[in-house]
Amino acid sequence: MKHKVLRTALYIVLALVGVITVFPFVWMVLSSFKTNGEIQSIVQTLLPQEATVDNYLNLQETFDFLRYFMNSIFIAVAVTVLVIYTSCLCGYVLGKYQFKGKNIIFGFVMMTMMVPWSVTIIPRYTMFMEAGLQDTYLSLILPVMVSGFGIFMMKQNMESIPDELIEAARIDGSNEFQTFHKLILPLCKNGISAIAIFQFLWVWEDYLWPYLMIDSEGKQLLAVGLTLFNGRYSTDYGGLFAATTISILPVIIVYVIFQKRFVAGVAAGAVKG
Amino acid sequence: MKRFLSFCLALVLVLSLAGCSGGGTSDKTSQGVQDTQTDKGLEVMGDNVTYDPNHLVNDGEPITIDWWVWATEDMFRSIAEAYQEIHPNVTINVINNPWDGFFTKLPLALQRDEEGPTLFNVHNSYEHLLLNYMEPYAIDTEELIADYPSASTHLMDGNVYYMDYGLSTGMYYYNKDLWTEAGLTDGDIPKTWDEFIDVAQKLTKFDEDGNMIQAGYNYNNYFNSTVIGLNYQFGDNLFSADGKESLVDGKGMKEATSFLIDLYEKYRVGDKDFGTNYDQSFYQGQSAIVFAWGFFVGNLATNAPDINYGTFEIPTQDGDTPYAYYRYNGESTPGINKNATDAQKEVAQDFIRFYLASDNVQIKLSQDGGLIPAKSSLMDAPELADTPIVKTVGDHIDRYIWPGAMPSTVENNLKIAGEDILYNGKEIDDALKTAADTIDIDLANADFTSSESLYAYYED
Repeated sequence: MKHKVLRTALYIVLALVGVITVFPFVWMVLSSFKTNGEIQSIVQTLLPQEATVDNYLNLQETFDFLRYFMNSIFIAVAVTVLVIYTSCLCGYVLGKYQFKGKNIIFGFVMMTMMVPWSVTIIPRYTMFMEAGLQDTYLSLILPVMVSGFGIFMMKQNMESIPDELIEAARIDGSNEFQTFHKLILPLCKNGISAIAIFQFLWVWEDYLWPYLMIDSEGKQLLAVGLTLFNGRYSTDYGGLFAATTISILPVIIVYVIFQKRFVAGVAAGAVKG
Repeated sequence: MKRFLSFCLALVLVLSLAGCSGGGTSDKTSQGVQDTQTDKGLEVMGDNVTYDPNHLVNDGEPITIDWWVWATEDMFRSIAEAYQEIHPNVTINVINNPWDGFFTKLPLALQRDEEGPTLFNVHNSYEHLLLNYMEPYAIDTEELIADYPSASTHLMDGNVYYMDYGLSTGMYYYNKDLWTEAGLTDGDIPKTWDEFIDVAQKLTKFDEDGNMIQAGYNYNNYFNSTVIGLNYQFGDNLFSADGKESLVDGKGMKEATSFLIDLYEKYRVGDKDFGTNYDQSFYQGQSAIVFAWGFFVGNLATNAPDINYGTFEIPTQDGDTPYAYYRYNGESTPGINKNATDAQKEVAQDFIRFYLASDNVQIKLSQDGGLIPAKSSLMDAPELADTPIVKTVGDHIDRYIWPGAMPSTVENNLKIAGEDILYNGKEIDDALKTAADTIDIDLANADFTSSESLYAYYED
């Protein structure tokens, strides 16, 4: 009986936390159908009093929303796929190969996670300027295509794979390339799912680096475009909410695709196998 | 999963080839055509600063320059297009940037020689960040000042690097419906502060329990912007005679601050806890009068198009012309990147001359920006006669002071002072002294010198 009561109480608390977490998003989505006057009204209502889709219809007026959206999709997918691949590759080597200096290399990888981005941004900016990569997508992809976090996660995942499986594959004539691609990668779905969600989200919401590196409006990303709704003197909240509502869709889709394995992936990365 | 990853990897490789190639130079590829027509049959524009369109720029060879702006992209693009019509070999890429971060990115971009923007919009509060990268205008400064009197406040070592194309200042906005409801007419528009208090009290409503239900006047969240400049009416400049130190804790600012506090605490025409944002309270018809700058016209159109409002000039102590009504600030003309190539700079200089000489350009800038034209000959332009700011303060704009390219520390610290006084119960003298101390340290570090001494009536 006591157990049941505790469980019910836990569910109620979780439900409340869930509502509190989701409510701002629901409010934003519903407010995207309100006029600016209604959004800023002192008397607030959750549902629009005079629903309008103008905020959505006018999105293209503030900036080339569709283009920015597709640019962001391209960069986020490109970086996510590259990070997954490089993380798996490095994680496999660090998790399954025995060689001198392995722990030192892993230590260096871990150290990269401890350096705040604000410390590296100025030298990184100078390097990319000198390399002539300003206003190119390479400048957005190169600095993040290898992730310390991803390598750490995948190393932990790889260590949970039995060595016997790899040895069996080698005995069956599989070379290292085949072993990695045909055996190891499919066994790391959970870890890959976790990295995919994290990495996609980080790239999707990154603002400062794309803003500094990309000059051409045709190449700019959505996170930068969203700030165009913030003027010097006022903010077009209706437009901002409509654009943000659409902009979170890819993140939700990525989460829906990978969610089943997300928790298992994070858990596997957290403990040594 | 494997197929999905393979597909993504292949997609990325294909897209990377398309997306990463080209580099930063592709957008600098000129779309202009060769121009061979020196005599374009067009009239010379301008009064003192003149622009003769009948010449070739860059010897008629195609050339592209970038112009960075942070807002009203369409307005600036139309000006660029007007210039390109005259010089079809020139392509001006107008690139819109977010206001947030604009002045972080711009100084970095200006170091990139011809790859950076050749023209860029300037906000005078960021002058100290940009001046090192700016090329002076190749226009006689006397001619500039003859057309644009406020250009005199932008003279640096005999050069002008940027100046005002339009002027903005604060004025009072009142809700006409609430005004009428209170039995007030156009004849009640206040000229003195006593009259102001009188109408504000008539516009203030309380319920039977004594709770405010309508504010006559609301300056919540706008104390600092209101009080900076009000000091001129109370006998002090904002900065010392050498322009290096603030007089934020001087007599003028103390009296101006006391006056604003009294409006709430003594005359009860508003309340620090009623309508905590002046603008939103006005949008909702909760507050009858607010003080705001010219930009508020645009905000009202966007956020409260149904509010029936009027404007009036800031009152004075006795209704007579004061030493200065208030301060003004200018919207600035574009800067020219001194690191651009000679050809790009030649185009930029030619464009700036066109920009300043053309009345059409200047009228458009003031019309769309809700500004008083800085070009004095346009003060009576019929196209601008009906804009609220020209109607309200146009006649007296010479009695408004530009304190100089004030670093943001002044506004920021007076915001803190206002909140300390209103919400934390700090004494006015103490709050202003704290603000003044911090401001003076920041001003010294910013190597700031006020432009107040350039005010025509400074000696008064």
